[in-house]
Amino acid sequence: MRIWRHLLFALGSAWQNFWRNAGVSMAAVLSIGLIMLLAGASLLLGHALGQVLDAYRERVSVLSISIADDTPLPAVYDFRDQLRTRPDVVAVRFVTKEEELRRFASDPRNQQLLEQLQGNPVPARLEVRVARLGDVGRVDALARQWRGADRTDPTDYQGDFVTNMQRLQAWVTAGGLGMLAVLTVASVVIVMNTIRTAVHHRRQEIEVMKLVGATEWFVRGPFLFEGVMTGLIAAGLALGILLAAYRPFVGTFQSALFFVPLTYDPRFVAVLGRDLLAAGVALGAVGSYIGVRRFVRL
Amino acid sequence: MVIAPESDTDPVISFQHVWKTYANGTDALHDVCLAVPDGDFVFLVGPSGAGKSSVVRLLIREERPTRGRLLVHGADVGTLRRRALPRFRRSIGLVFQDFRLLPGMTVHENVAFALRVLGQSRRTVERRARDALDTVGLAGMDRSYPCELSGGEQQRVAIARALVHRPRLIVADEPTGNLDPATAWEIVQLLLRINGEGATVVMATHNRDIVDLVRRRVVALDRGRVVRDDQAGRYHADLAPLAVRAR
Repeated sequence: MRIWRHLLFALGSAWQNFWRNAGVSMAAVLSIGLIMLLAGASLLLGHALGQVLDAYRERVSVLSISIADDTPLPAVYDFRDQLRTRPDVVAVRFVTKEEELRRFASDPRNQQLLEQLQGNPVPARLEVRVARLGDVGRVDALARQWRGADRTDPTDYQGDFVTNMQRLQAWVTAGGLGMLAVLTVASVVIVMNTIRTAVHHRRQEIEVMKLVGATEWFVRGPFLFEGVMTGLIAAGLALGILLAAYRPFVGTFQSALFFVPLTYDPRFVAVLGRDLLAAGVALGAVGSYIGVRRFVRL
Repeated sequence: MVIAPESDTDPVISFQHVWKTYANGTDALHDVCLAVPDGDFVFLVGPSGAGKSSVVRLLIREERPTRGRLLVHGADVGTLRRRALPRFRRSIGLVFQDFRLLPGMTVHENVAFALRVLGQSRRTVERRARDALDTVGLAGMDRSYPCELSGGEQQRVAIARALVHRPRLIVADEPTGNLDPATAWEIVQLLLRINGEGATVVMATHNRDIVDLVRRRVVALDRGRVVRDDQAGRYHADLAPLAVRAR
């Protein structure tokens, strides 16, 4: 019961203090809100980039090995089985010349070319899905050593593209983490300073609380809640703006760059909302915790 | 932590060769030895810088002794842990020259605040705040704000707040310093009445007239030393030797 009363007192005081120093509180909310907006926008952009990369990764993590027309079928099966035993290979599929021709013919852009062709000029293929993007190179090297592979164009491996994509993803991840760290520190410092100002505004009350025998955490409680409140409101504000902007952004992107596989992802929006609000609470709590430990002592 | 005296004969306050030197090198107290028994009323007198405020700060553990031992209600103030501080401070009622009331709260809220911070139930808070205001004679003014009260009334509110925990020890630091003589006398009468009901009172003061009129125990400090400790003493008595020594 006493804990409940303490909790109510802390919440009431935090709320009162938040509005009593509305100028400072709103400045903190806007600053942290802006930071969270930046962080949220980076996460959304990161996710969008991830979606695009995933789509490309899906494409390039399947290596297509062209089979020379004179390769006997048992040799193809042997090589297919050899590939299947490798730990870096997830699946291997044999595509016959007929199947490949049908696939070629199904693309309307190839119709004109198809009319001029005689027989079946497309090669049979082995489509190899690798476990990780980094494995494509090794499988490609193996395929090029295989005698049954087409001499002129053995695989569709695009080494530079894969390497560049891996490098881009590493940079995006590192940059995102670095920016997140800077933004986290900035938010914590802002909350700390807000708490410092609040402590200064309420120094008389704190003095009286100490003198009448309030515990240290009783005095600190309202400031902790105030920090959490600041973080939460800032996160809510940032989330609202992001939610309002995300769908139109994807729509604009889709119509302008239709070939880039970017879609509205409601599941990610839910995750982003949860994470932003949790981050707001955590940043507020950490900032105010450090603040009260420094500025409120019995 | 022991909050009550270990026996009836144990003093409520016991300074045992206490020294206090501040971080800036100022020597505030030199080898102070002083025992205040339960129910005593003590005036701490002396010129500015004599060490009265240091004594008060040590009593409420705003400061620790540099050397020596200070026991309050049997608790060693020098070794008191931070966690034990709140309970320790609740055993002492504090009254200051500048009242230290919260201007945004009514009289009742100011007094009740001291109990609310302890998480007391609303019923207990209401009853005890009312009792404390009754004791200081401000029963009808509970809805007023401090700025609407006279200095004397504000000090009564501060005393009510000090009493609301029902402490056995009241420490008053210049409680009449901001008051006119008549109001100051009323406040001292109130403290005497509280003392009459069993509480120990230590009052630091510059008010010569009151000390001479009340004739209670007087502990005189000068440059951090106890230079006189008289039962039923006077303020004047210590000034003559001090003046001679100063020359």
